[in-house]
Amino acid sequence: MNVTFPYMGTVIIYKKLLELLGHHVIVPPRPSQKTLDLGVKYSPEFACFPFKTIMGSYIEACELGATTIVTSGGHGPCRAGFYSEIHQRILKELGYNVDFIVFDSYFRDKERFMENVRKLKGNYSWFHVAKAIKFTFDMIRELDKLDRWIHRIKPYEKVPGLTKKVWEEIQQQFDQVTTRRELKKARKKGKKMIESIPLQEIDHEKRIRIGIVGEIYVVMEPSINMEIENVLGELGCEVERSHYLSEWINDNMLPRFLKHSDEEEILKKGEPFIEIEIGGHAKHTVGRIVDFKEKGFDGIIHLMPFGCLPELISQSVIPRISKEYDIPVLTLSLDEQTGQANNRTRIEAFIDLIRNTKLKKYTYTA
Amino acid sequence: MRNAYIGIDVGSVSTNVVAINEQGDVLFHYYVRTNGQPIESVKKGIEQLKDHLCNNWNVAGVGTTGSGRQLAGIMVGADVVKNEITAHAVATIQFVPDVRTIFEIGGQDSKIILVKDQMVVDFAMNTVCAAGTGSFLDHQAERLGIKIEDFGKLALTAKNDVRIAGRCTVFAESDMIAKQQFGFSKAEIINGLCQALVRNYMNNLARGKKLEPPFVFQGGVAANVGIKAAFEKEIGHEVIIPQYHHVMGAIGAAILAREEVKGRRTNFRGFHALQTEFVPSSFICNGCSNMCEVIKVKVNGQTVAMWGDRCGMWQEKVKQII
Repeated sequence: MNVTFPYMGTVIIYKKLLELLGHHVIVPPRPSQKTLDLGVKYSPEFACFPFKTIMGSYIEACELGATTIVTSGGHGPCRAGFYSEIHQRILKELGYNVDFIVFDSYFRDKERFMENVRKLKGNYSWFHVAKAIKFTFDMIRELDKLDRWIHRIKPYEKVPGLTKKVWEEIQQQFDQVTTRRELKKARKKGKKMIESIPLQEIDHEKRIRIGIVGEIYVVMEPSINMEIENVLGELGCEVERSHYLSEWINDNMLPRFLKHSDEEEILKKGEPFIEIEIGGHAKHTVGRIVDFKEKGFDGIIHLMPFGCLPELISQSVIPRISKEYDIPVLTLSLDEQTGQANNRTRIEAFIDLIRNTKLKKYTYTA
Repeated sequence: MRNAYIGIDVGSVSTNVVAINEQGDVLFHYYVRTNGQPIESVKKGIEQLKDHLCNNWNVAGVGTTGSGRQLAGIMVGADVVKNEITAHAVATIQFVPDVRTIFEIGGQDSKIILVKDQMVVDFAMNTVCAAGTGSFLDHQAERLGIKIEDFGKLALTAKNDVRIAGRCTVFAESDMIAKQQFGFSKAEIINGLCQALVRNYMNNLARGKKLEPPFVFQGGVAANVGIKAAFEKEIGHEVIIPQYHHVMGAIGAAILAREEVKGRRTNFRGFHALQTEFVPSSFICNGCSNMCEVIKVKVNGQTVAMWGDRCGMWQEKVKQII
């Protein structure tokens, strides 16, 4: 079968895993204007932005010959739980005959989860499957480490745009990897490439660190969040996201004895503000804001799809968190109509606000 | 020769040019409708400025702001290109040093800026709707056959309150028509509109924020006494309108330029440079399926700036030329 998946973040990982299980993988094109146009045209008007983008992605993948879509489900009262069902119906109406394999959290429905794995595993042994999963998991962990590193140094690059190019090259190299030895080599090479990027020296006190929190899809996929990490990097900020694929896999897919996760701790930090699980990543968002502040970050950018219910709730408690923890937060709501110029103005003004506060503080103490 | 600093604010509706001296006093200010021709407006403003300054002043720095800040910055050789929120706040702090809350309503956007100890601590910009902006008032004044300059004064003559739905321009307009058909006077309707605009502004931008006096109201719409009165009624406190309320963004840009050039030479291209022809054009890039509309500015046949591409491919190319 020709397998595809939603386009989100470092896609070479999904590709690698599915290839190791012997499938022919069709990587959907990076979401573009065309993807959005297609998605918006065939989605219900009030569906959220990620739904529409993924819809467009699926259509493009089906056009390229995909016959099976592997995706993740949602949990709690967030619309993401409906995604696969509605996507499947729309695709069917459009005349694409595709199967869906939907992975919900392993802990919610173990049987269904294993059944899905069986579908994908084909004739391979369980040993092979476990090895493939472990291998891709290690790979994404390495990639995420480099990803974080890249966005830590991006603001200080001497040659504009070089860091971005290096990151793209690193991903291409990881894409070629099939054995453990190659993985090690790719990791070493990636490290070396990053180390060789010429950087400007900057006082430790003058560094500005921004945390990005919010709904997972708009946080992780640069093509639909105005490449926010890059934009912030160009404005001189170090950036860390609240979502990395390796963490998501760790928290949702791995059996308990294999993982060491700070997820629970982060959720706990959000509990004074949002007590119960309300779906999506609302609780996670609030917890992360507190977590970033405790790690010494200077400001938070909160991304949400327009009309996203869980994030609307987190948005409404943010003023309180911002006051209690003394950390500035800027909420940006994204959809297919987003005027970039407007958001750019907001981001620039927000960074000015942070920089001025910080510099003043710095000169006072000096 | 003494030093002057130029600030240019290219907005959707108006283009403003100001010059200040070392102390921040305004030497010259100029306000003209952009009419969709930012290049012409900036040229006009700079020419007037040149005549005004004669040869007594030396241009030591120049800053641009507003939605057309990039283009204007390239035209004049700006030392600093700043977003309008920061620029507005900087200017207000100079005129009202203890300011805590700034209301700014311009042609196509409105903002609220909260200040503490002369530093911006929070801000918000209108999101989806044009109901709280100058263009909407402009449009309604035209529809009612009133000059926008008389709009505010007429509102103050209203005897009764009329409540008009201000959530959205489309609803506001149909509600206004309905109220007209009921027989309310023009003055009452206009007054209702002023109140609707302020209510909408407060609900949209000030939500969840603690507003502290002194309040300063600026931007083109601040000239409208009807809106000022509506603001004072809504918050129950006096609202200060600074003398140069309509060109505050430009003043802020000039102040920022003054800070920026300390200890170095300005990038200002000189008055004569504006004689050169700036030719903006755009094309659709076919590099990928994004099909971005890329804007290109040429001077004497040479491309000096490009933007609008999501991937940054074209922007990078220009950087290499320079």
